[in-house]
Amino acid sequence: MHIAEFRTELHAWLDAHHDELEPQYAPPGTLDEHIAQMQRVKSILFDAGWMRYGWPERVGGLGGSPMLRTELGAALAARDLADPGLFSLIEVLAPTLIDYAPPEVAAEVVPLLLSGAELWCQGFSEPGTGSDLSALGCRAVPDGDAATAAMWIINGQKAWTSLAQYSDRCVLLTRTGDSESRHRGITAFLVDMDTPGITVAPLEMINGEREFAEVFFDDVAVPAERMLGELHGGWSVAMSILPYERSSCFWQRIAYLYRRLERLVEVAPDDDRTAEVIGNAYLQLHAVRARSRATQHRLAAGETLGAETSIDKVLVANAEQTTYDAVRRILPGVVAMDDNADADGWRIEYLYSRAATIYGGTAEVQRNIIARRLLDLGTDD
Amino acid sequence: MDAAERELLTVAVRDALAGAPGALDEIGWREMLAAEPRAAIDIVFTALGAANSAEPVLDDVVASALGIEPRPDLAVFLPPFGAWELSNSGLATARVATATELLIGATTVPISAVAVTPVRGIDPDAGFHSVRVEGVVSPSDAWDSAVALGRRALAHQIAGASRAMLDLARTHALERVQFGRPIARFQAVRHRLAEALVAIEALEAAVAAAGDDPNPSTAALAKALAGQTARSVAAHCQQVLAGIGFTTDHPFHTFMKRTMVLDGIFGSSDAIVLDIGHGLLATRKVPTLIDL
Repeated sequence: MHIAEFRTELHAWLDAHHDELEPQYAPPGTLDEHIAQMQRVKSILFDAGWMRYGWPERVGGLGGSPMLRTELGAALAARDLADPGLFSLIEVLAPTLIDYAPPEVAAEVVPLLLSGAELWCQGFSEPGTGSDLSALGCRAVPDGDAATAAMWIINGQKAWTSLAQYSDRCVLLTRTGDSESRHRGITAFLVDMDTPGITVAPLEMINGEREFAEVFFDDVAVPAERMLGELHGGWSVAMSILPYERSSCFWQRIAYLYRRLERLVEVAPDDDRTAEVIGNAYLQLHAVRARSRATQHRLAAGETLGAETSIDKVLVANAEQTTYDAVRRILPGVVAMDDNADADGWRIEYLYSRAATIYGGTAEVQRNIIARRLLDLGTDD
Repeated sequence: MDAAERELLTVAVRDALAGAPGALDEIGWREMLAAEPRAAIDIVFTALGAANSAEPVLDDVVASALGIEPRPDLAVFLPPFGAWELSNSGLATARVATATELLIGATTVPISAVAVTPVRGIDPDAGFHSVRVEGVVSPSDAWDSAVALGRRALAHQIAGASRAMLDLARTHALERVQFGRPIARFQAVRHRLAEALVAIEALEAAVAAAGDDPNPSTAALAKALAGQTARSVAAHCQQVLAGIGFTTDHPFHTFMKRTMVLDGIFGSSDAIVLDIGHGLLATRKVPTLIDL
């Protein structure tokens, strides 16, 4: 289906089903309510087919360009029907399964994720492994010989694992090589979160929400057929997520930020100072939207996305913080002091936006990559 | 126009700008503008920026948008520095010194009927002149389109100049040795250059979007971003170039000064941002403007 035609039909359908889809809770809502809303919306959209466009038929999809699912996520964000940060996690989980899981495993579990029957999480970061992912230490050892073992035994800890306490499964990176093996000794697994030995301890973020968690693995046994990709091939599994994270997820986030700026514009005073702050935030959003569109057209044309997406990452983080800086500058009392549902909503989002230059690779790591790979400045040691 | 044709044209334009003034005429600039306006504006103005050339071809772009056949002896009356509406005093490019006629909105008048004074300013080589006209300046119905196309052309030019500044700073960082190593090995320097590249790439995307979806809004945003980008790129690059970048022995200052002048043609970034902000507040809507 052509993308413009898809967009038109999608929005007509969303208009017609507005009452059924809109959140049932009082704003701003809790994380529990946001997740329940998202799963409900996914289920309705899956049954109606919208949730299946852009995904391959062998995992329950209807095929077509991945840009179709980007359009869907952006439409939901722009209509406040699903939080894009939660919704777009699909983009960093499902493609991994499709590309690296045994086909029968992918065919079984991906439809459960798409239809809202399940939630999954991504177990990458660890307490000692934030920016330096290749130093991760959560260990997987074969129960017997690595080539023939039926089970792998996992011990260690993950941190900043978003939605772990809600999740049915986890795409987990483990250390299978020796401690010096860095990115050459990492293996990915799909782990069922109800496996004995897994303990989840949610962490409270500065905005009061418990979106991420510490996850402890204590002799957790995982079947060998749940290995994703090759033994010691986990680094390429992790890196394969980047093109989707840096295209579709960003586009959805940008759509959400436009809607947030519009909510600010709906209540802002009309004076020169406000116009300057709003105009500048709009300019940053337009710049990153233009960049992200070009990136997605390159991906759709079959180009391999790489280091240049660090530019998209820096831009989207800056645009997000500029947008919420505008909120704080124009509604300072609302963000800092007011006690009402509207203020609670702005406050949660403002505080969350402070992480935009930290998660998904810090702004500093992105600049290191840009300097080394795009500006060809050589090494910095 | 395919990639190979673009590359050929880019080289031809670059070579022409390295030669004598007027060389763009010889390679058929006005014919290119008529046949392939988007590619012609993109390639020529980017090259003007990169070469810091003051070749007066903005007149042709604005005239064509006003529906007037461009010709080498026709100069265009531009709004005053920082503005985009015409009034009795305004600016003109270097072409006004040799032109026979001046296009004011939709009206053409003999050059002899207007008062023309060269402007020195921060960048005398930019070739701008101040122009004063008598009587009523009647706007053209096509003026908004002329502003939009002029802004898009200037955004290309500023992007070309911004990349030139970054190239100069990058080369310096790799060659300049302090504390026994090229300064490009210091993270503080690397991050400044990375920031400059991020800004330039965003600008190039916004300028391309203004070509893909041509309208006054996308052109205004591209021009506003161009001014901001040049300011930020100049600051980062000047700091990396340090002492040598503060001398006229090094070409950096020519790009910095030119972009300061170009920022004010058809509205400065600050003025455009303010205007856009007021537009959003008036409608209480935030349109996304471009789609996948």
